[in-house]
Amino acid sequence: MPIVEKSLVTVDRTEHLEIEGIDVSGDWNSFLRSRVQVDLDVRVLDWVRSQPQGDTISRCWQCGTCTAGCCLHTDYGLTDFNPRYFIYLAQVGYEEELRKYSSTIWRCVSCNKCVERCPKGVKVEEVVHTIGSYLEATGGAPESPADRFDRAYTENLLRRGILDEADLFRTYERGEGRTMPAREMLRMGLTLLRSGRLRTGPLAHRTRGWRRFGAVLRAKLEEDERRRRESAGAVARAGGGPR
Amino acid sequence: MNAPGARGPTDAVPAYYPGCSLDGLGKAYEVTVAQVLRRLGLALDRIVDYNCCGATEVKNLSQEVSVALPARNLALARSMDRHQVVAACNGCVYSLARANDAVADPAMRGRINATLEAGGAPTYDGTASVQHVLEYIYARAGPDRVRAAVRRPLTGLTVAPYYGCLYTRPKRYTGAGRSPETDDPEHPHFLDELLEACGAKVLTDFSAKTICCGGGHALSDLDVSVAFSASILNEAGRAGADLVATICPLGQINIENHLDRIRAAYGEEVVRPVAYFTQLMSLALGASVREARLKDNFSRPDLFLRSRGFA
Repeated sequence: MPIVEKSLVTVDRTEHLEIEGIDVSGDWNSFLRSRVQVDLDVRVLDWVRSQPQGDTISRCWQCGTCTAGCCLHTDYGLTDFNPRYFIYLAQVGYEEELRKYSSTIWRCVSCNKCVERCPKGVKVEEVVHTIGSYLEATGGAPESPADRFDRAYTENLLRRGILDEADLFRTYERGEGRTMPAREMLRMGLTLLRSGRLRTGPLAHRTRGWRRFGAVLRAKLEEDERRRRESAGAVARAGGGPR
Repeated sequence: MNAPGARGPTDAVPAYYPGCSLDGLGKAYEVTVAQVLRRLGLALDRIVDYNCCGATEVKNLSQEVSVALPARNLALARSMDRHQVVAACNGCVYSLARANDAVADPAMRGRINATLEAGGAPTYDGTASVQHVLEYIYARAGPDRVRAAVRRPLTGLTVAPYYGCLYTRPKRYTGAGRSPETDDPEHPHFLDELLEACGAKVLTDFSAKTICCGGGHALSDLDVSVAFSASILNEAGRAGADLVATICPLGQINIENHLDRIRAAYGEEVVRPVAYFTQLMSLALGASVREARLKDNFSRPDLFLRSRGFA
């Protein structure tokens, strides 16, 4: 059981995160008040920790170094994107509050500044993606544009072993309902063709002997996704939230 | 732990992992990496039948697949009897080094090797270290040898060195800062020194040196990616740069892919031509603007360089 009651709170985020008169909303930049709490719901935390990329979550001591350097939070100014807070909410099992960020959490661009700087060796970027995958697997987050891109990318890659960049661009953009003006497409296509950079469709590169390796990876991918969905679903059905 | 460096006689010529970008949109990078190595008397041995490394995308779907993909390439390098793999793309460096971190765990290595075997690939013993081609050039040739090889110094050009995210980050994967062959994880300087050796004025304090370009979200999160790409160009312009030098095909392509959007949102004055560092180095080492394929880039550094008297 982690000691998570270092309440780092300003109350503007939510008014109802009080336990026994102590604010546990975990908001940024406020007083510290330590307390040992033993009746937290740790099912979400345990699930994240059980995932191959979430195992370092329990090292987090909530210093906020990740968030101070986070390019989305600080440079882009998307203050709702707060990796420290996401980790906190997963630690204390406050699922309902966590779900408020289900349309934000996918926006991590994987710049890895947080992982670089974390003094405790938390793989923050991977932990945040794991928390996001919990929300998605349990229906708490709609499939995000980034999830759709990850999927399109992976499917494209597993086909031949080498990415068909032009096809990925085409497929993904079409799936998002975006079309490039024909003239711009032509201009770009010609530039790429002239310089020998348009290796798509039948011209695309492929890895020799890929069929067999690709089939093994595809099976593994499906197995991993099924397992993740099932285990996360079981946690969600058992019910999260603070007591 | 990733600890780059030669370990045996065969490592005099490390294995070279091109990755999909260098065989596709980043062709100019591939060609000029080869030119620079040749002119500096360095060599790399290409991994045949490599596969894409999975970058930062695949890991969000499956840990094992995201490790098996790069592990297959590292295993191929080991079967060429190499302990050192050089890659030119930050995303590749990241995912290859990340695979090394994962297979340091014996249980994980066992599972990955089972996958490699089932797929008909050689198994991987976890002993191939990963290095970025920039670090390789810096460690093996260094600024002094570059300076001695320069035929046409880049005098009068002010260059903003853009390293991006995953060149050194995170150090627990890349081993950055742990040996003289690896760059500083927070304030990298290898590119600064190599371009200075080529005669350029380098903006060492360029504030966007290691910020993100939007990475894999270039298409899925346009707002963020365009804003980051624009701020890289804008910071470069404010600091007085004529050009931005990149070391990663993703950074190069993201910025260039957004040029029209950047122009529309922030104006033409923000835009600067963007070129792979090897294009600029190759130019200094004697290649023509045409040979360095500077016309390939959508931001057209060839036009700018010709206007400055480079042929």
